[in-house]
Amino acid sequence: MLVIENLQARVDAEDGDGRQILKGVSLKVPAGEVHAIMGPNGCGKSTLSYVLSGRDGYEITGGSMSFDGQDLAEMEPEERAAAGVFLSFQYPVEIPGVPTLTFIKEALNAQKRLRGEDEVPAPAFMKLAREAAAQLGISNDMLKRPVNVGFSGGEKKRMEIFQALMLQPKFLILDETDSGLDIDALKVVAEGVNALRNEERGMLVITHYQRLLDYLKPDVVHVMAAGRIQETGGPELAHKLEKEGYDKYAGEAA
Amino acid sequence: MTVALKLTDMETALIDQLPQDAPLRAVLSEHGLPHRRVEEWKWTDLRTVVGKLPAEPGVLTFTISREPDAWAEQDEEPSLLMPRLASALGEDIQVYTLEDGERLELGLEASSGVSNQQVLVLVPEGVKAELVESYAVEPDGFANLTLVIVVMPGAELDRVIEQHASPDAALVVTSLIDLAPGAKLNQTTLGFGAKLARLETHVSHAGEGAELQLDGAYVLDEGLHLDQTSLVRHEGPNGVTKELFKGAAARGAKGVFQGKIHVEQAAQKTDAQMQHRGLLLDDKAEIDAKPELEIYADDVVCAHGNAFGALDEDALFYMRQRGLPESKARALLTQSFLAEPIERIRDEDDRERLLARLMVGLEALS
Repeated sequence: MLVIENLQARVDAEDGDGRQILKGVSLKVPAGEVHAIMGPNGCGKSTLSYVLSGRDGYEITGGSMSFDGQDLAEMEPEERAAAGVFLSFQYPVEIPGVPTLTFIKEALNAQKRLRGEDEVPAPAFMKLAREAAAQLGISNDMLKRPVNVGFSGGEKKRMEIFQALMLQPKFLILDETDSGLDIDALKVVAEGVNALRNEERGMLVITHYQRLLDYLKPDVVHVMAAGRIQETGGPELAHKLEKEGYDKYAGEAA
Repeated sequence: MTVALKLTDMETALIDQLPQDAPLRAVLSEHGLPHRRVEEWKWTDLRTVVGKLPAEPGVLTFTISREPDAWAEQDEEPSLLMPRLASALGEDIQVYTLEDGERLELGLEASSGVSNQQVLVLVPEGVKAELVESYAVEPDGFANLTLVIVVMPGAELDRVIEQHASPDAALVVTSLIDLAPGAKLNQTTLGFGAKLARLETHVSHAGEGAELQLDGAYVLDEGLHLDQTSLVRHEGPNGVTKELFKGAAARGAKGVFQGKIHVEQAAQKTDAQMQHRGLLLDDKAEIDAKPELEIYADDVVCAHGNAFGALDEDALFYMRQRGLPESKARALLTQSFLAEPIERIRDEDDRERLLARLMVGLEALS
């Protein structure tokens, strides 16, 4: 499903001499699997999520990334979204003046148009919204408010998962979705993510800590440091990292 | 030594219409119409723009929800030049005395040529009313209008103004407003500009619990110019003024915001806030702003802010990541940026109507 091979990228800099962040990342996430990427701050985890979703400001200097056989690098961000790539942002953006449900409906229908599908009828959309909101403990009032405006950090993360439930993407990238969540909120969010798990959907869970993974139970855990995947293993790797920290990979940064 | 001004055909025509003994003749002959070397008009060169327009008489068409209560002659000449012209060259003043709960609709459409008119709106003590205006000028038209509005003690007026895009035309609307003790005025303008448009608002603010909300939004397409200038003078204590202006200018458009709040020494405990935010939709767009506070009282809370920017790139990416095409994301973001002053309109129908007009204006941007 998602195939990343020797991906190298740097941040754009005005002097044209940007810092290399990704130094050859390779990993494959088949449909139906949940992979976690763990690593210390500054290792390139978030950069990877932005490069995959097509944010401006990064230059791909080598390697490749493809999704269902399509070359992601050749696609606009909205085309990647329509292809099924969803990024749950580490810092969801506030959009004053645009009501949450209006935004999601516009987004869903824009994706459907790009895919050549029919738009979703309003009653069906509302029914879906009510169910997803109930599942995540999101109030009607929150849905009427402008996107993310005045929400706490935890509410914003819950809203990201709500959007995923509404948009039903093929692939989720969760960038530090656990940050800013207390334990109860973490559970609610994890349940939302687990509800999205199925045999056709892949996920890449980027996190610093193992506590979200306790709920999500990834199939594969990658350790990223210094712009590369340093080690790949099963769920036990996450526990080992939690105990031992990332020190042993620190040397790799040199 | 003064250098004699070479009058434009427009100025000559205006002077010819004035009575022989009118002091205004000398003023116009000496200074001409306002131009860019007059400080208050430095970004809005009325003289040059209307100098190229035909000087023949134009026709004003009023679409009004009811007849005026009276037609009056000017008893006291205004001090500003444009209201003086409107007063001297317009028909008798239309006078409206609003009743409690009344909604007065005042639509004005000017043909090509020159038109002047003055309107007086009285809001008697304790009366709550609405005044809904719209302005449009046909190509080659120059309309100069003055509204004198008196909001008497304890009265409340909600004023909503829509200024339609009027290419190849010039429009000056000067509002001279008297806000009495304990009175309230909520004014919101949605403007689309003209070859040159100036909406100028002067408020004498008596304080003593009087509250002014002065808001505006503007969307300017290529070649259009809109100047929103205001002067609020706090004359008594315990007055409140809240101003919020937001606008967007496309390539080759020019927005002007000049806002001044003057707080006299007697106006202690004044609470005055003024904000202007400009959004440049293109490198070749221009927005000029001059917010000013002039404070002579020592116990006041006053602030002003002014900022220019482009669309938030983080928000654009966020919206595109969810699947919205870039053009749609830009239009939605621009609308959400501009909607804030419009959303403060209290009447739901007016609010919805202007929000819809705003979206239409944005979608029409070339």
